[in-house]
Amino acid sequence: MDYRRDIPLAITFLVGVIAVMDYYTTLKSVTDTFTVIKNWGVVLYAFALGIGAVNLFRVHGRRISERRRADWPFSAWLLLMIVMFVVVGLGTGQFETSSQYEWIYNAIYLPIDSTMYASLCFYMSYGAYKILRARNFDAFLLFITAIFVILGNTPLFPATFPVFFHIREWIFGPIVGGAYRGIRIGIGIGAVVLGIRTLVGLETGYLGRR
Amino acid sequence: MVSTDPLVWIAAFYTIAATSYAFRDNTIFKFSENTFIGAAAGHLIVMGVKNVRDFGWAHIMKGEMIYWVVFVLGIMLYFRFHRKYYWLYRYPIAFLVGNGIGISIRAAIHSDFIVQIAATAGPLTAATTFDTFNNIILFIGVLTALSHFIFTFEGMHRGTLGWAPKIGRWMILLALGASFGNTVMTRFGQYSGRILYLVRDWLGVVA
Amino acid sequence: MSAWEKLTALPREVVLGLVLIAMIIPVIRPLGLPLMVGTMAKDWYDTVDALPEGSIVLFDIGFGAGGYPTLGPATIASFHQFFEKNLKIIIMATQVAGSMMYPLIMDAVNPETIYGAVYGEDYVFIGYIAGTQTAMAGVLGDLYAIVSVDYKGTPIAQIPLLKDVKGADDFTLVAYITTSGDIAEGWVYQAYSAYGKDLIGGMLSMMTTTMKPYYDTGQLLGLLDGVKGASDMEFLTGHPGDAIRSSDVLSFSQTLVLIFIVIGNISYFGARAARKEEF
Repeated sequence: MDYRRDIPLAITFLVGVIAVMDYYTTLKSVTDTFTVIKNWGVVLYAFALGIGAVNLFRVHGRRISERRRADWPFSAWLLLMIVMFVVVGLGTGQFETSSQYEWIYNAIYLPIDSTMYASLCFYMSYGAYKILRARNFDAFLLFITAIFVILGNTPLFPATFPVFFHIREWIFGPIVGGAYRGIRIGIGIGAVVLGIRTLVGLETGYLGRR
Repeated sequence: MVSTDPLVWIAAFYTIAATSYAFRDNTIFKFSENTFIGAAAGHLIVMGVKNVRDFGWAHIMKGEMIYWVVFVLGIMLYFRFHRKYYWLYRYPIAFLVGNGIGISIRAAIHSDFIVQIAATAGPLTAATTFDTFNNIILFIGVLTALSHFIFTFEGMHRGTLGWAPKIGRWMILLALGASFGNTVMTRFGQYSGRILYLVRDWLGVVA
Repeated sequence: MSAWEKLTALPREVVLGLVLIAMIIPVIRPLGLPLMVGTMAKDWYDTVDALPEGSIVLFDIGFGAGGYPTLGPATIASFHQFFEKNLKIIIMATQVAGSMMYPLIMDAVNPETIYGAVYGEDYVFIGYIAGTQTAMAGVLGDLYAIVSVDYKGTPIAQIPLLKDVKGADDFTLVAYITTSGDIAEGWVYQAYSAYGKDLIGGMLSMMTTTMKPYYDTGQLLGLLDGVKGASDMEFLTGHPGDAIRSSDVLSFSQTLVLIFIVIGNISYFGARAARKEEF
């Protein structure tokens, strides 16, 4: 037995089976064991939150020490940001509820996060201008519903011609409902099959390198 | 009136810096990008430590010493970065993967499969002709969209039977167009919030 | 370059600059257009409206700063409805930045001043819980087994609202607003399928198409789709806010996008026709 692979595979199987059994049985022993598994899981997920930061320290720490890249000062700034948030967050003992942490979060993190996500609107506009063409029948199908949904979503048009609102509602009824239900069933089958394959040890990608 | 709050000025600076990339890659954007990555990682550490304290250490304080095992497993996660003992991280990962898969597939069978099929298998006729028409389109949409993804049966995409996946592709394209339309609204809706912040909260042009 | 091709040769800076101006103008000069409320948002509103006074709602703040511009107003409007109906709210966050959204939302709703609500008796925030579906299953399965303190560190046994709340059986309704597909699906799997609870969900508009099958089959009793759903909720609850103001921005900006799409297609087909004539 290879303890480096077989024991993790056995753990995956056992934990997964108990979780599934909790859904299909009402045995108190299974429910109690699953409660313990859930509690352990929450703590382990919390430990896992720091992995990204450790990796950033490795990668950017190397860039700072080698100073081969011209943008190495940005790496130093990045690590400084990590340290600043951690020191302010943990220093007061109040974590994210301290007024100081709320201040730096709302001043620095919130505007960048919301803007990065939102500024894709500019790319979409330029992309729609350059690329969205009804070149063939397939593209026309995508084009026509996109146009009617945008018309329905733009308050100016339904306010002037209410029919655009109703067309949008109809598109989201049988058209989107039908196609995406089919996709959802397919996703469900795929997820369940992949899950079972992982539980029985046929999919071992999560174990990483040999 | 223009805001005098330094928080608002810093937030406005970072909003403009993050937007600037849409026009051209520049140093100010790189600065804000690295700020964001660092801040995000720092926030994750803060929340991680808090969760470990509230959901792990709290149990140890109650006398549940078995939680020391969880702490050891949690530290083993970081052996992922070790050249020789990297395999130690497989134990906690196996626990998390088993937990995640068990929790999700047990309900996915019901939500994504049984309920969806049961809803599709209902009667097509409805109170009005329009609703009956919609039910027929929905029914055809579900079956043809599903048939589009069948690749294990050779004859599925050929001959007369090939019409089903072809119609399925058309239905999916129509639905994807609707998805694109909604994505446009998402992005503009998100950015309008930032415009409001700049014009109202920072510059004070509107109330 | 032919005249047709010149139509699509506008510099990127010009296009993006026009989009930016189209977004700023309606903020300065609002249009105040009438709203047509969508069915999905109306169903969310009606589901909450039908709850008896004193019902306990489990609410998940499943978004962070990235979703705050549109989902923040949706959450604020929802909380106004919860407090107006005298519902008890147990708030949690399955998104790591959700606990930072809580003070922003509560500052805007101001439940103590406007509704006379008391923290610990009418609403409580148990903070961010890592693990997404594990957290959901944990809270619904046995709250006291997984949570020991609220987000400020107060033991939950000392919080009046949580004294008799053990798990799923004590919640009348589960509601979430999120930017994450995992969280949105996770609540359907855990709250609806595993624990049989009534469920309503809010999300970004671009997630609506993938979550629609759950709404159509009754697994989601109501659905708030992004800024449209947020503005519908603000209208229905009578608390106009940033979402309704954003509607004017959408009017200008999306109209401009449509114009660009039309120009692009006219030039494409014009150039194609001109090439055919040449041959």
